[in-house]
Amino acid sequence: MTDATGAEPVQVMEHLVSLTYREPLPPSTVRFGEALIAGRILGQKCPQCGRVFMPPKDFCPLDVIMLGPEHDVEVADRGLVTGFTIITPVRYYGQTKTEPFIYASVLLDGADSTLGGQDITGLPVEQLRMGMRVQAVWKAQADRDWEGMTTRGWGSVGGSIESFTPTGEPDVPREQFLEHII
Amino acid sequence: MAPVDIAIVGWSQSSLVSAAPVSEPHLCLQTVTAAIAHSGVGLREIGFTCSGSCDYLSGGPFVFVANLEAAGAWPPISESHVEMDGAWALYEAWVRLQEGDIDTALVFGSGKSSPSDRAQLYPQQMDPYYLAPLGADPDSLAAIQARALIDSGKATERDFAEVVQRSLRNAKSNPNVVQSGDFDIDALLAAGYVNSPLRPHDLPPVTDGAAAVVLATADRARQLTDRPVWIRGIDHRIEPHYPGVRDLTSSPSAALAARKAGIGDGAVDIAEISAVYSPQEIILREALGLGDSVAVNPSGGALAANPVMATGLIRIIEAARRVADGSARRVLAHAAGGQCLQQNLVCIMEAE
Repeated sequence: MTDATGAEPVQVMEHLVSLTYREPLPPSTVRFGEALIAGRILGQKCPQCGRVFMPPKDFCPLDVIMLGPEHDVEVADRGLVTGFTIITPVRYYGQTKTEPFIYASVLLDGADSTLGGQDITGLPVEQLRMGMRVQAVWKAQADRDWEGMTTRGWGSVGGSIESFTPTGEPDVPREQFLEHII
Repeated sequence: MAPVDIAIVGWSQSSLVSAAPVSEPHLCLQTVTAAIAHSGVGLREIGFTCSGSCDYLSGGPFVFVANLEAAGAWPPISESHVEMDGAWALYEAWVRLQEGDIDTALVFGSGKSSPSDRAQLYPQQMDPYYLAPLGADPDSLAAIQARALIDSGKATERDFAEVVQRSLRNAKSNPNVVQSGDFDIDALLAAGYVNSPLRPHDLPPVTDGAAAVVLATADRARQLTDRPVWIRGIDHRIEPHYPGVRDLTSSPSAALAARKAGIGDGAVDIAEISAVYSPQEIILREALGLGDSVAVNPSGGALAANPVMATGLIRIIEAARRVADGSARRVLAHAAGGQCLQQNLVCIMEAE
């Protein structure tokens, strides 16, 4: 079908959407990011329930009280894998991975909240286990940056930590981290 | 069946500022904590929680879930969320309290408008075939509404400026606003248009903020306070999405909501209305039947501070607090959603 001018009617129209958000990082995320670049991982300890939230949020979501820099504590750069997914990449726009990769949740020693979406390197993916002890593989000091540090969530370690890798220590029994399994 | 009597027993507003330095969950936590303290209800005693926010505004999918951390959602609580102004969250909580098995509810609304550009963001709310590709943004749609109002002979640009002058003068007595002051009408009218026939003063200021309210059933409310603010009626109505199929110079949905909420049962002393663009006050005055004896927006209204997703809930708070402090007996609060007053909510409150 054509109109009077002989042109084809419009059947498909592209409408590309791009939204930009500019927001200062919350003070707790700034402290977390600065510490990471210096090679330290910050958590925040609630004086009421004693739990250590990592990254800091400047409040305890369980006791609903405000926290501040005075509640910051350092947690270890090692811990255990509480759970993981092995992702086999399919091709789609923006996908850069070609080989199966890992998204693991890591519970760092001294923290009560897990770090999600971490890559585990240094072993074949099929050997990864829940309860496996791992440690951070830090980027070289000069290569550390604020990548992934946004106001969505409370901060990512990706700008300073490449991945986690097995320490070789014995696995932690499942009963000891049950409450951290999603 | 007549509705169960529900009262407002506590409330709080965050600082309303053009750019809040803290995250949205943080704003919510400060505000919820203050409203809970004001009510005297323990946070763990709350029977139902409902929040209102907009993920597009916050800038991520499921961002509203993080706001729930403000409500202490562990051990698990009974909660809900509306992608609407907090006034609609209050409506849902009011409905939930009608069940009679719980006696308190917490409501909050929050939004940070400072991170995004409304001309870019809001067209994404519109239908994706005809309006979003046009870039149908709120300022342009409000200007079309204002033009229709002028063409109908119902108002002039001077009338718009008078709304602004009175709103910003009223706002001088409200410490929690983004802008206030005394302005000369002719000076206002000397400014250039941003979207003809709207000038900068006809548009709301970009605002970040949150608000929270605690509701209680009758017996509980009387235990908590000597001055409960009773919700006598609450109703909301909606019109078609397409601005082109509506008469933009009137608001039949606001009129119907007001009638269902009981506007005809008695005169109101004050009305806090969500007229986000100055011409909308003229439309709403007519739809709500607000005569000259009614003080409209003594707080300054949305032209003084417009924390999107909390603006309507703040109208309820501003009206309720005047009942609680004895300066008004019967009041009306109005909230709006969508473009050009597409959706309207009316809440009528009274002293004992």
